[in-house]
Amino acid sequence: MAAAAEPHVLQPGELKRSITTKQLYFYVVGDVLGSGIYVLVGLVAAAVGGAFWMAFLAGVAIATITGLAYAELVTKYPQAAGASLYINKAFRSPVLTFFITICMLSANMAAVGSLAAGFVRYFSGLIGLSEDAIWVSTIVAVVFVAIITVINLIGITESVVANVVMTFIEISGLVIVVTIGIIALAEGVNDPSVLLQFNTEGGAGSAVLAVLAGVSLAFFAMTGFENAANVAEETIDPQRAFPRALIGGMLTAGVVYVLVSIAAALAVPIETLAGNTLLEVIRADLFFIPATVMLVIFGVIAMIAISNTTLVTVVAQSRILFGMARENVVPAMFAKVHPTRRSPYVALLFGAAIVSALLVIGAAIRTSQAGQPEETQLDIVDRLATITVVFLLFIYALVIVACLKLRGTDEGERTYHANTPLLIVGIIGNLAVLAYTLIDDPDALLWVAGLLAVGLVLYLAQKFFGTKKARLPGDDGGVPEAVEPPPLSKER
Amino acid sequence: MHVIVATDGSHASLAGARQFKWIADSREITDVTVLAVISPYAAVPFANELGPQKTARMTELSFSDDARLAVDTVAAEFDGWGPIIHKQIRSGSPAQEIIRAAEDLDADLITMASGSRGLSRTILLGSTASRVQHSAPCPVLVCRPTPQSERALG
Repeated sequence: MAAAAEPHVLQPGELKRSITTKQLYFYVVGDVLGSGIYVLVGLVAAAVGGAFWMAFLAGVAIATITGLAYAELVTKYPQAAGASLYINKAFRSPVLTFFITICMLSANMAAVGSLAAGFVRYFSGLIGLSEDAIWVSTIVAVVFVAIITVINLIGITESVVANVVMTFIEISGLVIVVTIGIIALAEGVNDPSVLLQFNTEGGAGSAVLAVLAGVSLAFFAMTGFENAANVAEETIDPQRAFPRALIGGMLTAGVVYVLVSIAAALAVPIETLAGNTLLEVIRADLFFIPATVMLVIFGVIAMIAISNTTLVTVVAQSRILFGMARENVVPAMFAKVHPTRRSPYVALLFGAAIVSALLVIGAAIRTSQAGQPEETQLDIVDRLATITVVFLLFIYALVIVACLKLRGTDEGERTYHANTPLLIVGIIGNLAVLAYTLIDDPDALLWVAGLLAVGLVLYLAQKFFGTKKARLPGDDGGVPEAVEPPPLSKER
Repeated sequence: MHVIVATDGSHASLAGARQFKWIADSREITDVTVLAVISPYAAVPFANELGPQKTARMTELSFSDDARLAVDTVAAEFDGWGPIIHKQIRSGSPAQEIIRAAEDLDADLITMASGSRGLSRTILLGSTASRVQHSAPCPVLVCRPTPQSERALG
């Protein structure tokens, strides 16, 4: 027994990190796969034509190069803040950092919105809901967002096993599509030349433009990889784990994307696929299990895949809000965590409210435009998703620049070095898609300006209230005050 | 005897540590390990409400720093109490990691708080506490926050 007089020894805080390279790899694959192809394949096919797999290929390539920059930066700064942190380190401009943070937040919110819309498409396919039932599907979308939020509130997402299982389910769905593609090729359903067919009349130049148009959509499919930076702090040996898991995961997702899009193009006519989901591939009834059964199985798989990515995106979104609240950018209330569940319930509920509001406003606009021709109709959720791609492309280009700018600083022996020429190709790629998106869709600029204006208002508010806070250090608006424990009276 | 004092950065966990200190006999205890668990996939992997609250720049948000701060604050409660104080931060699922720590350290007692009072909180359960009770390799002391202990915290 230790004598009471013995002085206690404080050992240095022992930190046991938990995430292995393999777990990180599955995290990246699951996160990237769920977001994109299940939701976007129809849109990309419509934009490009039979050769839409090229758009996915180009999107994957650009995103993976961006991933290289992320991998280098994560190994230098293994902290949770991601892009905001890197851009702050490289440019030391609070305004820029602030705007990047706002952009990431709105990108996340728009992503949750469009993921919810994608979920509804599969859900409707499953229960046979008509596409015209705008309000019913909006209710389903809002309920979906609510359930995802509750799951995050309870905090089930911490399970590593669940993450791996979800990833396998996502991959299994895509393996089914690829198998159908192989069957289609063997049976000669579509002429393989469809893979080189573009939705344009002109020569090679317009083919490039068609692919670019697809890339800006396909790019959305690769987003989510940056969420891997969220778990940087907890990764074992990040210098080794990150480059492998991040690039490996993105390449895996990329290969799957390209294979799936080739398979889809082979199995169904592009006109059928355009604007629709991967369910069309199943409907072609080429598989040895009857399509009626497969539609249910595949629909469920797709919904699980989309849910998985939505969970991670909601986590990222509430974490950004939490971080902003800690810095007093948004009211400190957003940093409140539930006493037992330890989840940031105010931030989670606020995010869910914003996304639900978006979905409802979108539905209201669509209802009011019911009589108009399809081209003039505004789907605000899809619209915001394309707008945020503009933000993301800009942020990604900036992250690569930050990576190059931070060369030579904070480097350890084991820092991962991304290939410089590749990074430059990445900047050009990101900017090319960005430029094309803006030229093709000048209205997007107005939306971007609008969102940036909201950001500016927030920034000014922060400056104004931020300095006030600095002068009144006691007035911290609801942050739990420091516990200077008065001795327990009964303690002796 | 080796005791693990778990903290999740909440006021309740600090109150629990104090309750433990009040109940326990320091002459019987050789080691105290103050333990925090970070759950990397959660929306907030670790939220510290103890000790001085600094307004960190959001780019410097570090959940392991938060965990360290919470562990330091709880460990400070045992300053001069007698036993050797160890600190440990692990990451993973909280209940699982607390149990693993108890196995690794061959602990004789785990002490932790069960969250706060109130109906909704009782329904939602301090599920970490109940899961630890289920499969811990040693006795578990679950401290329920009482009006008295909450008053003492101010």
